[in-house]
Amino acid sequence: MIIGTANIDDLAEHAATMQAFYSEDIHFGDVTCFQLTAEMRNAAREAVLPPSLHPTIPAALSVQAYRVQTSPWGPFQYVTVRVSCRSGVRARGFTTATVTDSDTACTALREKLGYPARVGQIYFRSSYDGVAITVDEQDVRILEIDGIDPDPMGSNDIQYTGTLNLAHTPMGLRLLQVEGNDISSRVDRLSSRLSNFSGAAWGNPLMAPYLVIASSVAKMELTIPAIRFVCKPEELAFTGTEPVERENLEIK
Amino acid sequence: MNLGEGSAIKFGIFFELSTPRPFSRENELAVYHNGLEQCRLADELGFDHVWAVEHHFLEGYSHCSSPEVFLSAVAAQTQRIRVGHGAVVCVPEMNHPVRVAERAAALDLISNGRLELGTARSSTWTELGGFQVNPDDTKKTWDEFVRVLPKMWTQEEFEWQGKAFSMPSRNVLPKPLQNPHPPMWVTVTSPGTELDAAQRGLGCLGVSAAGYEEQERRTKEYHKIIQNCDPVGGLVNDQVHTMNFLYCHEDYRQARDVGVPMVNAFNVANQHLYWTREAHPTRAYQTLGNAGAAMRGKKPPADDPSVAKGLPEGVGVGDPEHLISVIKRWESIGVTGINFLLNAMEMVPQEEVLASLRLFADTVMPQFRTQEQRNQSVYTPAAVGDSV
Repeated sequence: MIIGTANIDDLAEHAATMQAFYSEDIHFGDVTCFQLTAEMRNAAREAVLPPSLHPTIPAALSVQAYRVQTSPWGPFQYVTVRVSCRSGVRARGFTTATVTDSDTACTALREKLGYPARVGQIYFRSSYDGVAITVDEQDVRILEIDGIDPDPMGSNDIQYTGTLNLAHTPMGLRLLQVEGNDISSRVDRLSSRLSNFSGAAWGNPLMAPYLVIASSVAKMELTIPAIRFVCKPEELAFTGTEPVERENLEIK
Repeated sequence: MNLGEGSAIKFGIFFELSTPRPFSRENELAVYHNGLEQCRLADELGFDHVWAVEHHFLEGYSHCSSPEVFLSAVAAQTQRIRVGHGAVVCVPEMNHPVRVAERAAALDLISNGRLELGTARSSTWTELGGFQVNPDDTKKTWDEFVRVLPKMWTQEEFEWQGKAFSMPSRNVLPKPLQNPHPPMWVTVTSPGTELDAAQRGLGCLGVSAAGYEEQERRTKEYHKIIQNCDPVGGLVNDQVHTMNFLYCHEDYRQARDVGVPMVNAFNVANQHLYWTREAHPTRAYQTLGNAGAAMRGKKPPADDPSVAKGLPEGVGVGDPEHLISVIKRWESIGVTGINFLLNAMEMVPQEEVLASLRLFADTVMPQFRTQEQRNQSVYTPAAVGDSV
């Protein structure tokens, strides 16, 4: 059994802080969601994950880019990088970094969903013939993706695995299980090129995607239910998973 | 002809050849030779089948990339147990269909007509990606493979113009010993694949365990459809086998303490794999492999004293009394055979694995067949249209 070997204190340095657990679903409307999966070099396989998680074989990551037209925090875009992993026997993605183009959304993503979000510049073009995405921070490009040749797919043909965000919570430092329920109206598979990826900017210099597996773009309505479970980052999910304590729920 | 009807439930053993870390030559040597010893004992004890999978790159979970080699040794070291080559991954990037037909026929000859051939298409990106297979194509290539293999085995001149491969007229040699050819199976991971098997007259080889209700539903549907199948070969194989785990001990607490960690270790290793659907959007894979699948059924009643606590219903871990009741339940829902995984990551010492097999054969197996039946060869296939 292989497990993550990342130092939890190092991971916690960039973790968000949540004063309480939100208690209601969050709805994102008129969302364009791009997802790219890639194999990455084995050097990062265990090194980027906390000891509670198991890496996949082969090591892989996903880049997800969202353009959200309506949300409680106004329109915004965010790009998040997740390392493919297993929490117990469940397929998950561990978030190593998130960039958004909105200060308001950045605060909300950190405080309500535990994303390690920061503000940057995002360009996300989606049209009939493909997508183009770039992310810049302080005039330095940290991500560039082009996707072409859309191939229509069914809404059930794409898998979005649940997300794990490490955050300081009222229950302590925990991995939050963030799920998304999407209703997709259009889905296309794309041929994509990942021409720029800064491992250091996205969580760990060892993260080196070298083979794009596939990518897709979808139009959807997205609902993120209130977080129900968290997991201790230093303990395997079989024993370290806990239900969210009700007294820590945010009062609405 | 009907291979399953009226016969006693079959018992098989099933090998992934899972290997503990750290990987070493010594570990792999022990896994392979322990497996061969288990096969020899299973043959003596009256088990019906030994199956070995084909997997590639699945670190820890399965180091069984050349099952035909392992099974050749099994065939040479045993007398009566049938040899299950399965499942062969039916995508041309991994196996040319001519090579599948040739290897299978040779194995049938070496085993004196004891071959069963399983077919599959792989469900992990770990494997498909490693061979640069387009996941969209695997169902189509699998279908082409299962249709051409019987032709290669039975025709002196075979030629083909297809999507997976094409070839001019050749005599594919050798021919298998069994007439018209070895029974064929399909491994069933995703719900629905059992229907693909039934439509083509192929046996249903379950490799991800379902609970009783789900298996009953699948089995009924399978038997309904296979009545009117369009067989791809000269033989209809209407058997439904499931995968299970086996750890049998007189003391159910001991069975639980040894068996439950073994089952859990297998499941965790399984989950390290990178499922095709997770990596690659495709219509061809609608489920995440057998993720968490091992025994998705309901938890057993808490007041059952013989149940190995911690496992859902139907798992072959427990004392003989419990195993008899579990197998009777599987039999009652139409399952015609159960293939048992005996170990995972070598967690169970070899002597205990062998003792578990012996205890099963001494106490459980007699409830389902006579000694005479155990000594007989499993069955002799006959051609479509033959009376049995």
